[in-house]
Amino acid sequence: MKDSPLHPLTWWIWSFVIAVSVVRVNNPYFALGATTVVGFIVLKLREDASWGKSFNWTIKVAVWILLIRTFIGISIGVPIPGNVIFTLPRILVPAWMPGIRIGGAVTAERLTSALSEGVIICAIIVIFGAASSLTSPHRLLRVLPVYIYEFATAVVIATSVLPQLVTSVARIRQAQRLRGQKTKGFTSYRRLAIPLLEESLARSLDLASAMDARGYGTSRLRSRYRPIHWRIKDSAIVASGIFILVLS
Amino acid sequence: MIRFSNVSLVYPNSTTTVLENLSIEIAEGELVLVIGPTGSGKSSLLRLINGLVPHHTGGILAGQITVDGVSTRDVKPGGLAHLIGIVGQNPLNGFVADRVEEELAFAMEAMNLPQDVMRKRVEEVLDLLSLTPLRSRLIATLSGGEQQRVAIASALVMHPKVLVLDEPTSALDPIAAEEVLSILHRLVHDLSLTIIIAEHKLERVIGFADRIVHINGDGRTIIGTPHEVMKVSSISPPIVELARVLGLDELPLTVRDMRRAVQQLRESISVVDIPVTIPNLNPVINIENLTVAYSDKNVLNSLCATIHGGEIVAIMGRNGAGKSTLLRSIAGISKIAKGSVVVHSLNPITLEGQIRREIIGFIPQEPSDLLYGQSVAQECDQADRDNQREPGTTFAVLNQLVPGINLQKHPRDLSEGQRLGLALSVVFSANPKVLILDEPTRGLDYEAKKSLTKILIEFAAIFNRAVILATHDVELVAELSTRVVFLADGDIVADGPTLEVLLSSPAFAPQVSKVMSPQPWLTVHDVVTALESGVL
Repeated sequence: MKDSPLHPLTWWIWSFVIAVSVVRVNNPYFALGATTVVGFIVLKLREDASWGKSFNWTIKVAVWILLIRTFIGISIGVPIPGNVIFTLPRILVPAWMPGIRIGGAVTAERLTSALSEGVIICAIIVIFGAASSLTSPHRLLRVLPVYIYEFATAVVIATSVLPQLVTSVARIRQAQRLRGQKTKGFTSYRRLAIPLLEESLARSLDLASAMDARGYGTSRLRSRYRPIHWRIKDSAIVASGIFILVLS
Repeated sequence: MIRFSNVSLVYPNSTTTVLENLSIEIAEGELVLVIGPTGSGKSSLLRLINGLVPHHTGGILAGQITVDGVSTRDVKPGGLAHLIGIVGQNPLNGFVADRVEEELAFAMEAMNLPQDVMRKRVEEVLDLLSLTPLRSRLIATLSGGEQQRVAIASALVMHPKVLVLDEPTSALDPIAAEEVLSILHRLVHDLSLTIIIAEHKLERVIGFADRIVHINGDGRTIIGTPHEVMKVSSISPPIVELARVLGLDELPLTVRDMRRAVQQLRESISVVDIPVTIPNLNPVINIENLTVAYSDKNVLNSLCATIHGGEIVAIMGRNGAGKSTLLRSIAGISKIAKGSVVVHSLNPITLEGQIRREIIGFIPQEPSDLLYGQSVAQECDQADRDNQREPGTTFAVLNQLVPGINLQKHPRDLSEGQRLGLALSVVFSANPKVLILDEPTRGLDYEAKKSLTKILIEFAAIFNRAVILATHDVELVAELSTRVVFLADGDIVADGPTLEVLLSSPAFAPQVSKVMSPQPWLTVHDVVTALESGVL
């Protein structure tokens, strides 16, 4: 794999196709299965570079979304009758909002429906997270056409600064632990956000000016030092995705 | 090649002029050094050359700047990419590709050069900067010196006529710095490239410079040959300071010239013995068989050392020798594979909160990592509250370190030295038993370094505290530390009093000791006290 890398678009196309089939099947078990497969592929193939680590963060974000969504799903909305598991305290709403309910009885049916919707959304997030951690953002940029230069500049900056932030987060947390501050809880995030924001801004500006100084976007056409080929293995991967889509 | 005519620069929302009425003409094949205190506008001057200032930053520019006949007013920085190669202060932030070869090709691809031309040029620069063995490596895995060379190579690949470098050696160890500078020297002499460098560590670069632009920080500039500028400059390398102290008429700039100039003096005094240092017996930190590994590779191989109270220990060694890892193990934030670190009979990994602050103070490479307040005042209040000090204590300390800081300023708007001062005073407010600093002098000018030295020496002496710092700065080590631990590839290769260790390694010897060798003197101060005490 290392000697001739895949086309930078391969995993993105594959992920897109898998995500479409997850939506089409609309089954949480299928979504969980797809997530597991994707997870395996990432663990097996990702490179030891900054963007490779972004997958772990996607998973964290996805789990948070799942928890928040499930909580909202069971506490607000239209009640579904069925087996009552437990009862939340109910908040009364004005009479002009009929049918809407906050709190109250939580049924097994309601919980499963909220959970399964959440799982599907999270699966899609994780699948795209996998694509971004399997593909170097710099290589991806090189296959994008130049006439979207300003957009492409923004993409490079976002995609190369964001993964670096993952390392920065660890570094800053460590420094603050050394200052004897707690590194868990809500206030620790506020303490983290400020140096982080500062650093990402400085980095983005540095990168933008470096790209400009090196003539990025001055020519409408762009040559390639080492052409990026679409190989059989790229087709094979995309075909496997389409196969799953057709089956679903 | 480059012409500044009556250039003045004011940044938006600022009342101070960075440059005022600067006129200079730089000829082809000249190496110009830009010096000045931190925050004086050195980087601005460099970035004016290809128009990044004001095209990227905003600001009011008066006057005219032309490079090879092209005015920066008429073209954007990208339009000058074939003429000017620019290497930023932190090359890692400017890399656009993952691998060395792709990085080198990036600018040529953007210019739509044909593939065979690119191939040829990439091979050329790979040879020129001895990067061939690294060609397919991931840039993120290279050492600091290697990254700096890649950054220079990716600028040279465009065959520019001008090369601009912002502090190219500040993050490098003396040997890597030497490599980079000798490459620049060769480019000037072999290819007649015009080079403009900003650098704080004058002792490293002054010998190469044809001319110096000295920026005062209030808009005024002094331009002249190194000899002319050094006569009036407030910033000067140790050699020049030594020459001033000895009252020489001519100011030599290199060790060779200086040795010749003081030949008589050297011959008239007999060699002094190395003074015997009294061993300190107040162990604070015990390191036993410390082994740290990252992904199966040992970064530190069973190190043993004892550090005592009142000692200032400098950890030196090449980039990637394991200096930071050692500091982090002592601070208790590195996973230890084998062995142990004991600080004041405690395991540093278990320390939290108040106790941690009182035992270990740590200044990371980026001091701003410690800071999260919206203003200097908030930062100081937080430190006072954390450590149950009287309100205002931290600010009083800060005022002593770096006087005249505006309380309402955002920590981000402070200069490099001021920010380090703020982080230090926050750490000092807990009065830690052990103080650890990771490369504290990056980006500091001589003035800031002097006050840092003074503070650390006082701190270690008054409270009998242990201070440990990792640094590449030989001159700082000579002034500051009492003991040097030399790391190479995860092993301690030398550990002893500063004098012994520095004198035994030619690459890491400070300028004064090179000049006065074989006398055991490291700093201008050493020479002065020796001469006053009557060795003559």
